[in-house]
Amino acid sequence: MSLSSLLNIGVKSMTASYAALQVTGNNIANASTAGYSRQSLQVQTATPQQTGNGFFGKGVDITTVSRAHSAFLTRETQLTASLSAADSARSTQLSRIEAAFQTGEAGLGYAAQQLFAAFGDVANAPGDLAARQAALARVSDLAAKFGNADAQLDSVQSGITSELKASVASINSLTAQIASLNQRIASANGSGHAPNDLLDARDKALADLSAQVQVSTVPAADGSVGVFLSGGQKLVLGGDATKLTLVADAYDPQKQQLAVVDGSSTRALPDGYVTGGAVAGLLRVQNHDLPEARAMLGQLATAITSALNAQQALGLDLGTPAAAGAALLAVGAPSVSPATGNAVANAGVSISIADTSALQASDYELVADPSLPAGQYQLTRLSDGQTQTVSSGDVVDGLRIDVTAPLPGARDRFLLQPVSNAAGTMSAVMANPRGIAAAAPVTATTAAANTGTATVRSLAAVDPSINPNLTATITFTDDLGNYTWTLVDTTSALPTTSGSGTWTSGQPIALNGFELKLDGQPKGGDVVGVARTADPASSNGNANALLALADAKLVSGQTITDAWANDLATIGVRVQTASAAADASARLATDAQAANGATAGVNLDEEAARLIQYQQAYQAAAKILQIAQSLFDSLLK
Amino acid sequence: MRIATSTAWDTGLDTLTARQADLQALQDQITTGKRVSKPSDDPAAVARAERALAAGTRATTSQKAVDASKSAMTQVESALGDSTTLLQRARELVVAAGNASYSDSDRASVADELQQIRSQLLQLANQTDGTGNYLFGGQGAGQAPFVEAAGGVQYAAAAGERRTESPTGLPLSADGRAAFLSARTGNGVFVTSAGANGGSATIDSGRVSDPQALTGDSYSIVFSVSTATPPVTTYAVLQNGNPTAVTNAAYVSGQAIAVDGMTLTVSGAPADGDSFGTAPSQPTLSTFDVLDQTIAALRTPGRSGAQIAQANAFALRDLDQAMNTLTTARTSAGAVLNRIDSETDRLDGQKLAATTERSNAEDVDLVHAYSEFQTKQSSYDAALKSYAMVQKLSLFNYVNG
Repeated sequence: MSLSSLLNIGVKSMTASYAALQVTGNNIANASTAGYSRQSLQVQTATPQQTGNGFFGKGVDITTVSRAHSAFLTRETQLTASLSAADSARSTQLSRIEAAFQTGEAGLGYAAQQLFAAFGDVANAPGDLAARQAALARVSDLAAKFGNADAQLDSVQSGITSELKASVASINSLTAQIASLNQRIASANGSGHAPNDLLDARDKALADLSAQVQVSTVPAADGSVGVFLSGGQKLVLGGDATKLTLVADAYDPQKQQLAVVDGSSTRALPDGYVTGGAVAGLLRVQNHDLPEARAMLGQLATAITSALNAQQALGLDLGTPAAAGAALLAVGAPSVSPATGNAVANAGVSISIADTSALQASDYELVADPSLPAGQYQLTRLSDGQTQTVSSGDVVDGLRIDVTAPLPGARDRFLLQPVSNAAGTMSAVMANPRGIAAAAPVTATTAAANTGTATVRSLAAVDPSINPNLTATITFTDDLGNYTWTLVDTTSALPTTSGSGTWTSGQPIALNGFELKLDGQPKGGDVVGVARTADPASSNGNANALLALADAKLVSGQTITDAWANDLATIGVRVQTASAAADASARLATDAQAANGATAGVNLDEEAARLIQYQQAYQAAAKILQIAQSLFDSLLK
Repeated sequence: MRIATSTAWDTGLDTLTARQADLQALQDQITTGKRVSKPSDDPAAVARAERALAAGTRATTSQKAVDASKSAMTQVESALGDSTTLLQRARELVVAAGNASYSDSDRASVADELQQIRSQLLQLANQTDGTGNYLFGGQGAGQAPFVEAAGGVQYAAAAGERRTESPTGLPLSADGRAAFLSARTGNGVFVTSAGANGGSATIDSGRVSDPQALTGDSYSIVFSVSTATPPVTTYAVLQNGNPTAVTNAAYVSGQAIAVDGMTLTVSGAPADGDSFGTAPSQPTLSTFDVLDQTIAALRTPGRSGAQIAQANAFALRDLDQAMNTLTTARTSAGAVLNRIDSETDRLDGQKLAATTERSNAEDVDLVHAYSEFQTKQSSYDAALKSYAMVQKLSLFNYVNG
């Protein structure tokens, strides 16, 4: 037993304590470093010396520096961060979409109501150009409101595009970083010690990557990890990173799609490949929420435009000579976009609107499915995924689909957008206040000598083919409601026609595109005449009809107000749900982070305690050295 | 369990931020008075508020239409009142003109006065509401609806009424034809007339004694005076020109003659061959024609006493009918004004209901919001204090190196 053993033990002890203090110091220094895992010094007793008197300990040896790490918790943190990022990205974008759906006086519904109210003012004073001018101002206002709402959606789309670009750039930089860390970790692998800080850096990069897009990792024997998208697409394998990029959507160049750079070409990734992370949230808004919001606005815009224009056409304006009213509003036509990869480039697929009030707020996808008989196509309503088989000429949801030569090739796909372009392209096209068709084209009068009690309750033009130049004379032949009618052309261009019918109370008499309703009871010999309105400036029949559109069911069985209220509720519920989901997943992510922190994080109180502990240990070791030295001294004296 | 110091700081800060955001949201609600400002605040309430807003706007639109109708009908009512007054004055003049002491020139000056009345009446009938719309313009008139034409005043507009929008359906104009041109001729059921008679007999306007017995045919009463002395006056009644059972009936002046539910009284001495007729009444009597005929009659010089009496009797009869029709039109304008009042009440109720509904849906309950604000404020306060205290605790404070 040599005297130097004690000295050695002292030295080893001092070294270990000093190292422990260094590790603790490093922990304190990195207490706030993101991704840092608490490190601790691993020591073990040195191999003892066997003597005749037993085994004598030879002090302490440092084994390694290890980091507090739980693979499970790390993974959990990444996964929940992924979901939270997706939910929060969607929630943020949805609240921007919500801004297009203003409530109350700022909203589209109110603008439409104000327009109808303006027609009420015109009806009260049909000859008043000021009232007409005000109505036209309301028309422009409504078109502008729709335009603004659609512009808001456009700005959401461009916001999503730039966020996607930023995300993809950050994904590419993170995967490159992970690949290089993989290489450095693999080369450090041979040293027998874990490269804690490199591992931390890689975990941090993986966590950051997860926030952008959800990935799964597969560890390899050399210490590197393989990183894959949920759909199986590899992002990092060993030291190689695959680059992602954005390509234009197959239908709509404004929309972005995630793609993999494969050498010199790119390959678009299907939607399902990206399940979490901000990118997933952004893509979901872009591909589902945004088109649906656009279709809602478009459905309203189309319904209002077509109803107003149709009613306008049934009235007479203040022109010289008075003519059927021209259009007040215009919207863009329904569009068909073939997918970029279609076999037949210019297939003859076209759509037109057959019934505006039956249109749904949705886009459709038409696929030439080779498993269907020739001439039949698969049609999917994108808002709810409902599919059906259609042939050329079929009318679905008020939309007529025509397929003519050149026919689409097998599996060719087309995006049909009946209403989505309407809101953005809505414009007021009438500039002259005299153009408002406030007058009914024809006026009904009872003859002065009538002996019955019949009076005109209402006369409505219902068919744009009405010819105001035809004067109808309805003569009752008895007291039972039987009548004969004649239609005489005042311009003598058409031959006189005649016929007979029976009137029953409450039922309209329909002739020449008008419907005449009578109150009271006509007697034999009574005459009701329906002739061209002589003075359109003092007739308000059509202005009343324009106002009545406020209460008409114009949008798939609902009034404009109801449809708009429902749209608001739909968007509101969607935003609410998304925000609740974002809150919930954020809480999960926070919890997971806290749990991981509990294992891997630095607690300063703990480190303070350790400082004292190792300081004392160091002091004790120094004492050993001091005593060893004094032992030497006493020996040499 | 270990708590990582950085997690503790972060979580504490997150909680504080969230509390502050809550407090801010509540503060926004209290300052704006709205609980709901965007759809996601409360989707169902937003939809309710939107419908209420539309209902309110719609009621306001209806109210404007009702107001327009009220303004028009008030003016129509007063114009009709003025017209009735004018006709009453005309009646007084005609009564006065019946005075046997009046000379032809006296009657001519009465006619002049009637002429004035006629032009005033025409002015009333062509009155506008101040915005260029003719009060009696019916369903539409580009120019004045009553025009002077050969054969009297004609109605140039489309008969009927211009109405407001459908739920209210109130008139914005009155039917001029019905008010001024559609009085019933005669006594309202039949019209008596005198032929070009030589005798001094006159016929009254008759009355209905038995409505069931009316036939709707035209009758004439033809008198014959025998050449005997004293002459005997008899009459025969013809129905649509055909003989009836009444022939050679003895005539007594002033005694009622009953014919198929009608009672006619002929007074005076008819000459041989004199005749009186009746015809079914038509709703075509023009107030202006009545005045024109009366004026023309009054200006005709050298008429016999009987002719004067007969013409005056008919003029009074027709003026009464015209006045009746004006009164009827005035009554219905009054009825419309009554309906307008109740319509206004109804619309006020609707507007109030809409406002209340909207407020219920989206306005903040201040009492509730304020008490919640207090709660949140004190808990935020507590959170701040405890955060500051807890984060101050550290072992390092007690380590003195």
